Amino acid sequence: MAYSELIKNFENIREYMREFYVYGFKSRNEYTGKSARSYDDERRRMESWLGEHMSFVRGSEGKNVFISIDSRIVTHNPLYKALKSKSFTDKDITLHFILFDILCSPDISLCLSEIMERADAYLSGFDEPMLFDESTLRKKLKEYTELGIIKAQKSGRKMLYRRSEHEMPDDINDVLHYFSEAMPVGVIGSYLLDKQKEHNDFFGFKHHYITSAIDSNVLAMLFSAMQKKSIITVTNHSRHFDRDTRLRLIPLRIFISTQNGRQHLLAYDAEYNRIKSFRVDYLSDIEIKESTPRFDELRAELDSMQSKIWGVTANRDKYGRDHTEYVEFTVHIDEDEAHIIRRLEREKRIGHIDKIDDNTYRFHAEVYDTSELVPWIRTFICRITDLDFSNKELEKRFKDDIEEMYRIYGIGEVSE
Amino acid sequence: MIFNEIYSVYYNAVARILDKLTDNNSADKDLAKIVEENAFGESVLTILPSLKNQKWQLVRQDMTTPIRHKPTMPMTEIQRQWLKAISLDPRIKLFRVELEGLDDVIPLFTEADYCVYDKYDDGDPYEDERYIDHFRTILTAMRQGHNLKIEINNRYGERVYIRCIPERLEYSAKDDKFRLVTSGCGFVRAVNLARIQKCKVYYGDDVIASGKYETEEENVTLEIRDERNTLERCLMHFAHLKKRVERSDDGRYLLHMSFDKGDTSEMVIRVLSFGPTVEVIAPESFKSLIKNKLIDQKSCELL
Repeated sequence: MAYSELIKNFENIREYMREFYVYGFKSRNEYTGKSARSYDDERRRMESWLGEHMSFVRGSEGKNVFISIDSRIVTHNPLYKALKSKSFTDKDITLHFILFDILCSPDISLCLSEIMERADAYLSGFDEPMLFDESTLRKKLKEYTELGIIKAQKSGRKMLYRRSEHEMPDDINDVLHYFSEAMPVGVIGSYLLDKQKEHNDFFGFKHHYITSAIDSNVLAMLFSAMQKKSIITVTNHSRHFDRDTRLRLIPLRIFISTQNGRQHLLAYDAEYNRIKSFRVDYLSDIEIKESTPRFDELRAELDSMQSKIWGVTANRDKYGRDHTEYVEFTVHIDEDEAHIIRRLEREKRIGHIDKIDDNTYRFHAEVYDTSELVPWIRTFICRITDLDFSNKELEKRFKDDIEEMYRIYGIGEVSE
Repeated sequence: MIFNEIYSVYYNAVARILDKLTDNNSADKDLAKIVEENAFGESVLTILPSLKNQKWQLVRQDMTTPIRHKPTMPMTEIQRQWLKAISLDPRIKLFRVELEGLDDVIPLFTEADYCVYDKYDDGDPYEDERYIDHFRTILTAMRQGHNLKIEINNRYGERVYIRCIPERLEYSAKDDKFRLVTSGCGFVRAVNLARIQKCKVYYGDDVIASGKYETEEENVTLEIRDERNTLERCLMHFAHLKKRVERSDDGRYLLHMSFDKGDTSEMVIRVLSFGPTVEVIAPESFKSLIKNKLIDQKSCELL
């Protein structure tokens, strides 16, 4: 098949985009799961979509392609472009514009044969006019009815079609500019912005993770399932075992990180009778199944667990018993370091801070997984005076790591 | 679900071409420009030929179109659901807009459906009327191209008066705060919106006509040891920065990245959070900051 900028299936390119954006050190021959042709086509597509954001480095193993974007400089997520690349047929695009020109106002209601007749008139001026049969037109109208842009209404024995009356509200450019970057599934806001003529944009974003854009379709499906309180079946890719598993889950909540850009689904897995977390970027092929009466009860259970979740790990067994650990660390603060106390207060997600004396503060918490706190505790390196984990193995590792850092950076016993 | 051709850049570009053609005939170069501005790098090789050779029967040979009205499309149901979802977010109050006609719409998500679990706890007061007024005033000044007069309390609690060119409103999801990025007022480059006490559009004659907003970049090279999944964690953590990853022949990974020098303290603790599996290679000045932290830690006698 001839190369095209457009694609039929987004899944095929999702992994390439993540590889090029997050990693970007692999050469062509390392993409072993795909054919060389597939690699070349996907790379060329991304060059076409992302232009100046694509870069190349020639290494010993060949040319490495990567995407480099300072998300503080760009005002709109460039990765949204990938979601605007769906392929279509010549008939699709022709019919789309003719249909909405025929149904140019919500006041015009026409039956199938009337629309066909008028469409033929539009095409009569062409050398070899396209022919639309009834089935093609009916299929397109059904598709657009499901999308909500066409309304179908029975009138006697006839089905009448009209354009939906839901036009985009005026004066929401600022709203769209901001929320298309700041809210989940922001690409939908970007779709709306594309229809606007004026694009004055006054917003910028710091600490802005744009990778989640490529998971927008999955996320939208998960939200939709949650609104319907439905069960889903989904394919979960295990990176560790490089294996796909089909799961049946009740999705309960999306956990979004502002500090690493990852998104997790917290869902009930009936096979293990537990609430577990799943990386959204490893999920695909979601099918929304029947609704479940257990949704509210399970979400309430997740609510009750969140006071012990630091990151995304929950550890309540099938008998309802929590398996928690205790974490405590103490920091020393100088007279002019009140900002450290503010840091502790605003950055702690759970747990408590006790003032021991004017210069000493202690954080303590009961958590499902101590290892999730370790990176945060390390940010207080230079002032940690005491540490007490109930998970002694982790406590030892934490201390060993600090010892190793002393060694790496040459912090000697005496001279320093 | 949301990957559909009706949202594609091709449909958007064709809509704009037809919009132009319903007004009058347009030169080829105008149409090519529309494609360049609205579609992808190579789209010009497909869109215009497909219209001209009547593969897509929307433009006749004489470059007229049978389309009579400017192309428009109503909102899809999922677009309405997304708008409904943002209408429920407290930050919508900042924009003082009424998103009407959504009463019958089920939101795509509500705040019960997602949790931003690691944002800081002292976010901005989005429902505070004075804060909203300041936000609106800043937007007005930017839209009208005027200077701003601001009174702020600095970090020492002192009142500071500045006049500046408002460049943009910068939001950090991690801090859950807006900052006003400014130029033309010397030492003040950014102001936390929540610190602003008073804010007015300046309509006077003594206008600051132009200012430069320049950030000083710091370049850092880190060596990543791929243990405990550090490679993935680290590359994702720093994914929002301009970066390049290099794998050396001996299996080491070098991450070269650049950031705003004003964020150095934050970057130091972010690097520290990875422990010994991420080591600063360069520059020496950044490495020294890490070393100083470790020296201080050593004096805490934790081990």
